[in-house]
Amino acid sequence: MATEKTVSLSAEARAVAARVGSLRDFLDYLGEHEQCVTWPDAILPEPDIRNISVAAGNNVSTGPAVIFDKIRGYPGKRVAVNVHGSFGNLALLLGMSKTTPVRELFFEIIRRWGSDKPLLERVAPEKAPVNENRVDKNINLYDLLPLYRINANDGGFYIGKACVVSRDPLEPDNFGKQNVGIYRIQVMGPDTFTLLSIPAHDMGRQMLMAEQHGKPLKVSVMIGNHPAMPMFAATPVGYDESEFAYASQMMGAPLRLTTAVNGTDILADTEMVIEGELQLNQREVEGPFGEFPGSYSGVRKVPLFRVTSVSHRNNPIFENIYIGKGWTEHDTLIGLNTSAPIYAQLKKDFPEVAAVNALYQHGLTGIISVKNRFSGFAKSVAMRALGTPHGTMYLKNLILVDENVDPFDLNQVMWALSTRTRANDIIVIPNMPMVPIDPAAEVPGKGHRLIIDATSFMAPDNLGADPHLVDRPMGPEIDALMQRLNELQKGGA
Amino acid sequence: MKTICPRCESPGVTQMHAGMENGQILWRVWHCKDCAYTWRDSEPAESIDPKVRPAWAQMKGVDIDSLRQVIPPARKPT
Repeated sequence: MATEKTVSLSAEARAVAARVGSLRDFLDYLGEHEQCVTWPDAILPEPDIRNISVAAGNNVSTGPAVIFDKIRGYPGKRVAVNVHGSFGNLALLLGMSKTTPVRELFFEIIRRWGSDKPLLERVAPEKAPVNENRVDKNINLYDLLPLYRINANDGGFYIGKACVVSRDPLEPDNFGKQNVGIYRIQVMGPDTFTLLSIPAHDMGRQMLMAEQHGKPLKVSVMIGNHPAMPMFAATPVGYDESEFAYASQMMGAPLRLTTAVNGTDILADTEMVIEGELQLNQREVEGPFGEFPGSYSGVRKVPLFRVTSVSHRNNPIFENIYIGKGWTEHDTLIGLNTSAPIYAQLKKDFPEVAAVNALYQHGLTGIISVKNRFSGFAKSVAMRALGTPHGTMYLKNLILVDENVDPFDLNQVMWALSTRTRANDIIVIPNMPMVPIDPAAEVPGKGHRLIIDATSFMAPDNLGADPHLVDRPMGPEIDALMQRLNELQKGGA
Repeated sequence: MKTICPRCESPGVTQMHAGMENGQILWRVWHCKDCAYTWRDSEPAESIDPKVRPAWAQMKGVDIDSLRQVIPPARKPT
C-alpha cells in the first residue's frame, strides 16, 4: 500500500521535476545540455535506426538521445531512441550534473528509494493532450507508428519501451492492483499484437486470472512517456503497489493522469496510447527477439491482443529502445533500479553493506561492497543476496569486494580480483533457478551460481606475507580535485 | 515473382503497409499468416532472403502447433 513517505530534493532536482512533465519536455531539456540530437540525414528504417541507436548507446557516460524525423517511407513520423541510454541523461533527470559519477547516482536513487506517497493530478480526458487524435476504425499500427526491426533476426517489429497499464481482472476498481510494466510487444496484424509476460510477472498473473475466470483483460500501451515512468515501470514493486505513485514521488513532482476509454489510468501527456483487449486463450507465434542477455529468445506461442482504439498527440514521437548484446539502453534504464532494492534489502540485515552494483544484464552479474565483520562474512552476505526477490532468479555471478572498493569502478574491482581472491574463495552452487533466457543455463530456467569473495582477509585467515594495504586517498576531497583537474584541462583557472 | 515468407517460405503473406516517397511506393511491409514473420522488402538480405538468413532462424517445416507456450491457455479457444 502507498505510504506517506516523501522525498526531499535539491533545488536543482525540484526545478527539473517542475519543468519536465512529458517526453517532449525532457527531450528539450536534454537538448539544452547537448544530450539530445536530431539526426540530420534521411534514413531507411533498417538498418539505419538500429545502427545509429547502437552508436548512441556505446557512449555510456554521455551518449545523447536521438530523434529521427526523416525516415524514408514514413514522411512526418518521428522516432526517439536512447533517451535513457546514458548515465548523463539519467543524471540530468535527477537534477544533477551530466558528469555525475554512477556511484553518486546510485546513492541519489537510494536516498529517494521507498518513497511512494502518490503525487497525482487528474486531467479530464477531453483536456488531455494524448486525446488530441483518436483512431477507432480501420486501425493499422504499421501506418500509425514508424515501426522497424530492432535486431536483424527478430521475428518482426517490436515496441520495446512502452509502459503497459492493466487492471486486475477480478478487482478492476482497485487502483493499487493496477499494474504498469514494460513488456515486449510484437506487432502482428494491422490491429493485433502479442505481449510477452511470464506467470511470475504481474501482467502474466493477470493474463492467467482473466483466462481462468473468463474475464476481460483490457490494457493501455503507453508509448513515449514521462521519463520517470519507464524507469519505475521496470522496477519490481509489490503487486498491490502503484507504479504511478512510485514514479511521481521518486521524481518529486505530480504525474498527470487521465482515464482511457477502457477505464485504465494513463499519463495525460503521453505521446500515444494503444488500447487493447486480451483475446482469451488465443495465441500467436512470437519471436525470436534479441533480448538483454545479448542472445535471441526462441519462437513461442504468446497471448494475443486486439486493438480497440489508438489515441495520440499531434505529431507523436515513437519512443523505442535498442536492446541486445550489451551495453545497451536497457542496461542504463534499469540498472540503478535493479541495484537499489538489492542494496535496501541487504542493508536491513547487514549494515556493513556499502553499495551494490547490479548494472550488468539486469543483475546477471552483481558486485557488492561490504565490510567484513569477521572472516568469511562476505560469503554470508552473498548467500543473503541470492535470497532477495531479484537475486532468486537473476544474481548469477556475485563478486564481493571490500567496503572501500567502489563497485561501480571496474578498475578497482579488478584490483580486488587480482589481489584479494584465492582460488578457494570461489563458490559454485549448482542447479539453481535461473532466468529462462540466460543463454548460460544448463536447461532454460536452471543453472549454476558463482560467488567470488574478493574481500580482504581477516584472522583466522592466513593473512599472507605482507597484509598491510596502502590506504588509497579517496572520497569527496579526491572527487573535488578530479573536478578541478578537469576544469584546468578545459582551460579554466 | 510471387512474394513468399522469408522465414517459413509459405506463400500465405499479406501486405500490411506501403511506405511512400514523392507519391511512389518505396517499400512494402508484409506479414506471414503461417509463422507470423513480419518484414519490409527494403531490409538487408540477412533479414529477408531465405538463402542468406541463418539456418537456425528458418522455420520451413516447423510444426507451429508444437511451439512452446509461455502462458498455456486455460481453455481451448472458441
